[in-house]
Amino acid sequence: MLYGILYAIVILAMSPLVAGIIKTAKARLQNRRGASPLQPYFDLAKLFRKGSVVSPTTSWIFRAAPYVYFAAAAAAAGMAAAGQFGSVADMLLLIYIYGLGRFFLALASLDAGSAFGGMGGSREMYISVLVEPALLLALLTVAGPAGTTSLAGMAGAAAGAPLAFSYILAAIAFFVVLIAETGRIPVDNPDTHLELTMVHEGMVLEYSGRQLGLIHWASMIKQLTVLALFVVYFIPWGVPGLPAMIGGPVFAVKVLAAALFLALAETSTNKMRLFRLPGFLAVSCLLSLLALVAQ
Amino acid sequence: MLEYREVSPDELRKAAAAIHNGGARPLTAMFANDERGLDGGMAIYCLFADGDKAPFIGLKCRIAGEPWEYPSLAPDIPAASWYEREINDLFGIVPAGHPDLRPLVLHENWPRGLYPLRKDFDPRQPVAEAATDYPIPDVEGQGVFEVPVGPIHAGIIEPGHFRFSQAGENIINLEAKLFFTHRGIEKAVEGLPVADAFYRAERICGACTVSHALAFAQAVEGLAGAAVPARAESVRVLAAELERLYNHAGDIGNLCAGVGFAVGISHGARLKERLMRLNERVAGNRFLRGMVVPGGVAMDVTAALTQDIAGVLHELEGDLKGLLEILHENNAFLDRVNTTGILSTRAAVDLGAVGVAARASGVNADWRRDLPYSLYPKLDFKVPVYHSGDVAARLWVRADEAFQAIGLIRQVLYGLPEVGGELRVRLPELPAGASGAGWSESARGGNLHWLMTGKNSTVYRLFVRSASYPNWPAVAVAAPGNIIPDFPLVNKSFELCYACIDR
Repeated sequence: MLYGILYAIVILAMSPLVAGIIKTAKARLQNRRGASPLQPYFDLAKLFRKGSVVSPTTSWIFRAAPYVYFAAAAAAAGMAAAGQFGSVADMLLLIYIYGLGRFFLALASLDAGSAFGGMGGSREMYISVLVEPALLLALLTVAGPAGTTSLAGMAGAAAGAPLAFSYILAAIAFFVVLIAETGRIPVDNPDTHLELTMVHEGMVLEYSGRQLGLIHWASMIKQLTVLALFVVYFIPWGVPGLPAMIGGPVFAVKVLAAALFLALAETSTNKMRLFRLPGFLAVSCLLSLLALVAQ
Repeated sequence: MLEYREVSPDELRKAAAAIHNGGARPLTAMFANDERGLDGGMAIYCLFADGDKAPFIGLKCRIAGEPWEYPSLAPDIPAASWYEREINDLFGIVPAGHPDLRPLVLHENWPRGLYPLRKDFDPRQPVAEAATDYPIPDVEGQGVFEVPVGPIHAGIIEPGHFRFSQAGENIINLEAKLFFTHRGIEKAVEGLPVADAFYRAERICGACTVSHALAFAQAVEGLAGAAVPARAESVRVLAAELERLYNHAGDIGNLCAGVGFAVGISHGARLKERLMRLNERVAGNRFLRGMVVPGGVAMDVTAALTQDIAGVLHELEGDLKGLLEILHENNAFLDRVNTTGILSTRAAVDLGAVGVAARASGVNADWRRDLPYSLYPKLDFKVPVYHSGDVAARLWVRADEAFQAIGLIRQVLYGLPEVGGELRVRLPELPAGASGAGWSESARGGNLHWLMTGKNSTVYRLFVRSASYPNWPAVAVAAPGNIIPDFPLVNKSFELCYACIDR
């Protein structure tokens, strides 16, 4: 339990660093120098010091949403962390805790009545409709053989499972979902300034100051959590049995490798046409189904 | 010097339609001139690009007195629509029968009935801020939403307001409100000596500096009957093609930003930066300002610079090929640009679209070849034409033209007449009351400057038709049928200037 809390705090604290490393890696891949990997910390510190501008037409939902979104991201991080040490955390609960955060953010995006918020919100819900079943299927490929949907049980089963073809299929399927969940190219472009193309950034366009900082931080936490889940379930080799003192650094290296691969994947392609996304996520679903059948 | 056929207002519409002939001779410029001080009337001028015997066929329609009115050409020639709305705004001359006579240039903050380009308007007098209206048509229907964008954008771009009507993500209609930073340059240069007015004309736009300078300078030289020294002509072509090259390289990179393709963005930005630094070594500034002057050029290209340019071009050619290979082989990229934002050939002809946008839609027109000027008739280059009219076609036209520009620069560099020759001739006093035009093909299409002189080599009236002017309505035609998140890409593929129309 103590380790669980410790791990959750580590995820919260390290998530800006991972986001920064991905940004720096992308810059290097484009032959740019890029900002320091620590830049997200400075950005958050700046945002938390600033005041917020809130549109007078908004309701309490607009003010509550950043906290709900952050709480959901933090709770999911805690569950993922605690899950490795045997607790009640469950994969279905995890998926729908993310659903809760997303639901509130989408509501808030409509609240100010700006056109960009509405567009971002409607696209986010459209993508989430596609992502949720894909995520569920991808996790089922792990939960199936484990015979449980508890995160701890799944982690244990994944660690004990031999390297099989079905795992590779499932890993690719999960990685596709990971790209969509973290709002990266080809699904969404986190670096764009083009309002008309935004998804996640469009939803939060009305936010400023501390509220914006919370949302940014929550997104980073979510990104690291999903990356950590990817590592726990699909590249689990080497960790179990080792004491946490050694397991921790090995785990961190693997998460970092996954993050760098994300940067590489993002640099090597461009954003997809919005209405091609069903096909993209259908690939993920199909791979998961194949993995389930192969098991 | 241009010649005009004088027609009465009653004959104008028929005469114009006969010359235009369904787009065979595109309407290149249409403008008014307050000639009440000369012969007591207002005049409407139309210039149609011809290129057979003379570059342009001119029509002049004198309106003797009030009511200031003439029959609208827009029903026959859609390209006339914007020109007529502008004349209506700035001169108060009404095109009777115009299908859509909303304000265009002047916004709701400008008082009605105050016509800034009439001679009796004093630009030094402050104008009280008005609160009239600037109607933008609505689209109504179930599930139709309006999305207003701009004039202030998240990126560092010029101001423009776009209003989309959308059903779901599909664009049903796009209305653009532009001219937010209209500077009144055409008014400001009236009465100025031509030599001073030149610098204002050159600064109409940064990215088209050389093109505007060249068009204005050639208008002046035509009126003066002066021949430009051979070496100066070479340097002018060099500057014009360097301008085309950095614009096209940068625009190809920018297009990648429209689809979020990071490698292409960085590549394009790097190529453009290298070219702009070359510009700085050539002209002392990144936009090649001050190279072209009336009568010739102000700066020479030394032997060391010639080598420098050749070296940069050699590297750039390889790098640009590399970038285009990446784009050509990237299916994810091609999927975004193919069949997106189609401008049909019919629409391009009807709207009088020019430049890259026209050549990507199957219109085989390039003023460097069709209305020859400067050294171009002696140089060897091809005019790429694509027919699909989509974002991809505009991209490939730019790519092909960039390589043609490299070829042109090399021809000029290796054929430069001996150093030490004259660079600039002194222009004689210009005849008063004469009018003429100068033109050049910029990276975005043809720029035309029409100049009428006053006494002592001053400007009586300057009219500037920039390439972006006829192409903006084309963007509004190409957008519907696409989805909203594709619009930035469509817009970037046209890559039009706001400053060029806010002259």
